[in-house]
This record gives sequence, structure tokens and C-alpha cells, in this order.
Amino acid sequence: MAHIDCSFYSPSLKKNAHVIVFLPSMSADDYLENREVHYYDKDKKYPVLYLLHGSYGDCLDWSLRTGIERYAQDKQIAVVMPSGENSSYVNMAHGEAYQTYIGKELPEFMVKMFPVSEAREDTYIAGLSMGGYGAYRIGLEYPETFGYIAALSGAMDMPGLLCSNVAHAQKMPANYKAAVYRDHHNMAGTRDDLPTLLKEQLEAGVTLPKLYMTCGTEDFIYPSNEAFYGKACELGVQVTYEKFPGVHGWDYWDAHIKDVLKWLP
Amino acid sequence: MAFFQVNFFSPTLGFNTDIDVFIPTPNSDEILNKKKSDYFQKDRKYQVLYLLHGAYGDYTDWMRLTSIEKYAQNHKLAVVMPSASNSFYQDMFRGSDYLTYLTEELPKFVKAIFPISGRREDTFVAGLSMGGYGAVRLAFTKPEQYAACASLSGAIDIVSCKEQNDDGSIEGPFLWDSIFEHADEIEGTDADLFALAKKQKALGKELPKVFQTCGTEDFIYQPNVSAHKKLLEAGVDVTYEEHPGIHDWDYWDTHIQRALDWMPLANNSVEAGKEEK
Repeated sequence: MAHIDCSFYSPSLKKNAHVIVFLPSMSADDYLENREVHYYDKDKKYPVLYLLHGSYGDCLDWSLRTGIERYAQDKQIAVVMPSGENSSYVNMAHGEAYQTYIGKELPEFMVKMFPVSEAREDTYIAGLSMGGYGAYRIGLEYPETFGYIAALSGAMDMPGLLCSNVAHAQKMPANYKAAVYRDHHNMAGTRDDLPTLLKEQLEAGVTLPKLYMTCGTEDFIYPSNEAFYGKACELGVQVTYEKFPGVHGWDYWDAHIKDVLKWLP
Repeated sequence: MAFFQVNFFSPTLGFNTDIDVFIPTPNSDEILNKKKSDYFQKDRKYQVLYLLHGAYGDYTDWMRLTSIEKYAQNHKLAVVMPSASNSFYQDMFRGSDYLTYLTEELPKFVKAIFPISGRREDTFVAGLSMGGYGAVRLAFTKPEQYAACASLSGAIDIVSCKEQNDDGSIEGPFLWDSIFEHADEIEGTDADLFALAKKQKALGKELPKVFQTCGTEDFIYQPNVSAHKKLLEAGVDVTYEEHPGIHDWDYWDTHIQRALDWMPLANNSVEAGKEEK
């Protein structure tokens, strides 16, 4: 893979953005094994996975802490890893428009800049924890752009999480938390609440992206995954849901991002 | 400009290598100062400048030590900055094939990845010192690929550079016996740019135009004066400038701007041509 560290001015964020991109390119193994390769063919376009980090992280996380480069090389897809601060990937009530940036601006930028497909069926979004929420929040808001959404240990109940006493919520600086949502005590029933968003999109008759979720059964966030799955089933929405022993950590995400790639076409 | 640091495996070199790339995109200056910006659309590409470092340097030098981003932004020009170690931009006799990497693999790679034009009239190469030699070496090796090249304080006359390096009058990290099979017999080979120019002209090739500039207090000034004469003798279309200055980044930061002004640039994105695969 070509590892591309990108820095550019983002009109949506109104500041510079930092993104890490992997693009399939000739590997040492290709070279050593004399494989016939087509990386440089004219009009070659790769499927693309937008891959989101969790709270307290940034665009380097996935590449530093997992084998995503190897997995994506095997699957011959591009991976785009943006930074979203602790924004939950929404258009912050008092801050940057991360949802517009990642849902609209970034795919347009990538399609113009790199050999990535713009077809819905080739465009995927996934993430872990807050990034799992972000993947659903953005993917469901832009269903015409994203064909597939996956959450790993996703914060599928953001209103519940923010009002809970787990460290992930409690340690978040209060002033940052206040910048993200207008009123995180009263999010239920808004589009920032995933079951509500899912229901509204369903009622609006949009073609939903295909949905996947995975969560460790010892993860503090597991109950909210169970609950979201239950609500999706009630709505008659098909979600591929997998669970394995594990907690909220990189061992789980490194192991199960492979399941996400297996699930993707 | 969008700034890209790219790391990838090069089968030509046999190891991973880095390039820095600038691609024009709207920046805050254009918003603040209400400059009209027309950026690339589908089926439009950018003209490109390959920008080469000098001895002791690498792909980060131009980005760190000059304001090349700002100058390229003004010209809406893509910039690609590769690394070539201290190879003197050759396919080394004992070492890696930097010339082949830079003239064949790298253009193919960056054209596949970025919206960069592959047409001759959209492709430029420039460099400083060893890279000032390298720019002309690349351009004369594949004259069908480059419209023009610029040499800043360049070691254009590699034979005299080696002599000066041998007698200790100039410093250099060059492993001459690794770069060349016969380091004392460079004259008349393709590495001798005057011989290469004559050879390509004899083959009926149209040589890229050359911009040559050097500081009058530079240790490499006299070799540049004589190189200019030799380029003219070889029938090269060369624009020559000299200005007060020494062999340093102040000179290169100033005069890369003159080199860009001299180049026949579109100062905009260009129609994508029917490019070769």
C-alpha cells in the first residue's frame, strides 16, 4: 500500500484537515513473487473504506494500532482515515461541521484526488466506539453516498452513554461535551439518536445502506449494542450482528475489522 | 495546496521510498483575500514540477527550506519531491537505479494516484546543485517527457565537479566508484550532459528548454559559466542568469520563483490528454 499523509484546507471545517490514506500499490511481496499487477492501469478505481477513530483518538490510530494496511492490501481497497476530534462526527452545535466534512466534502475530495470509485456500492464507512456511532450517523444521513456501514463496539446509544457514569463519558471535558450537542440530556427523538435517525430514514423511504455491527460481550458498551439491534429488528431493518468474547480495546478492533472486511462485498 | 507525504514500495529501487506532493486546492489565503479560484474538475489535471534535492538532502528539503508551496499555489502547479540519496541521479553501478525510478516508475505512479497531466507540455523538472544536474539529466534522458528543466546552482558539468571533488576544492559525499563503473571515464557517456545533448539531437529528438541560474559568489559559479558555453555549443536552448549569491537556500528560494516565471505554465488546471497507459 501507498501510505499517504494528507493535509489540506477544509472549507467545511474552516481549518486544515489531517487525513491518512492507504491506496493499493505494488508491494514487496508482489515484486518477489512476480505477480502480475494492475495498480497503475488507466481508469483503475478502488472501492474505498472511510474508517473512523474513537473518542480521545485521531487519524493515526487505525494505522498505528491495527494491521489495517495488510488487510486492505489483501482486499485491494483504499482506506481513508480522517480526524474527528471528540466531535462524535456530528455537525457540532458549537464547533466544526464534521458530519458535512466526512459525509460530503471528504468523499468529493477523495474522488477528485485519488483513483477511488464514487459508486455507492464501492463506498463504505466504519469506525470504532464513537467512530461506530459516527459511521452510522453519517452513513444513514448520506445513504446515497455510502452503500455499507459498520460499527465496531459502537456507541449505538449516544444519549445514554453521555449521561452514564463510565469513564469514557465522565472524563470528557465538560466544555467540549457542551460544544458537541445542543443538549445531550435531551437527544432522544433527534436525528443524533441513531434509532430515531434509522426510523426517520425508513419512513422517508430512502434506500438504506447495508448495516453491520460487532461488539465484545465483556465490553461496557455491549448492552447498548444489544438494545440498538433490538430496535432495528423492531423496525424490520436487517443488521448483520456479530459478537465475540472481548472488551473495549484494540485487540478486539484489530481482530474484528477483518470480519468487517469479510462482510463487505 | 493539499500536502501529501507518500510512502510506497518502489520495485525499481527495491525498497520503500518517500515523496512529498503538493496538489493545488483552495486555501485560506484565497478565502481571506477574495481571490477567484478555479480548481480542478473531472477530466482536468494539473501541470507538474518534479523538484530535486541536492547532495546530503532528501525529499523534505524543498518543502522545509523554501516557500515552494506558496509559489506553486500561485501558478496552480502540482509539485512532486522525490529522494535520490547521493546517487547523482544515476542508475548506480553499485547501488539503486535512481534515474530509471525518476524517469519511468515515479511518473507512472504519481499519474496513477494524483490528478497530474502526463503530457510533455505539462511536465517540468527542476533541482538545485546535484539536483540541478539531475533536472537536466532527467530531461535529456527522456526529452519526449519534459517540456523544460531548470538548474539552480547545478553541477551541470559532472566531469569538472568530479575533478574538483577529487582535488578537494569542493566537498561532496559522492561514492564515485559506486555511482559509475568507470568513474574516470564519464566524459562522452550519457552522464556527460553535453554528450547526451548531442546524442539526442543527432537522433532527431527535440530537447527540453533549459533555465540555468547560479550565484556569482558560488563555488560552482565558474563551472556554470563554462557549462553554459558547452550547452550552447551542443545546440541547447538555454536561458542563463547569474545573480549575486552563494550556494545556499536564500539563493534557491529566490530563484526557484524566477524559474517558475520562466516556465511556460498554464497557471491553471489543464485538459486531461489522451494519456498513455
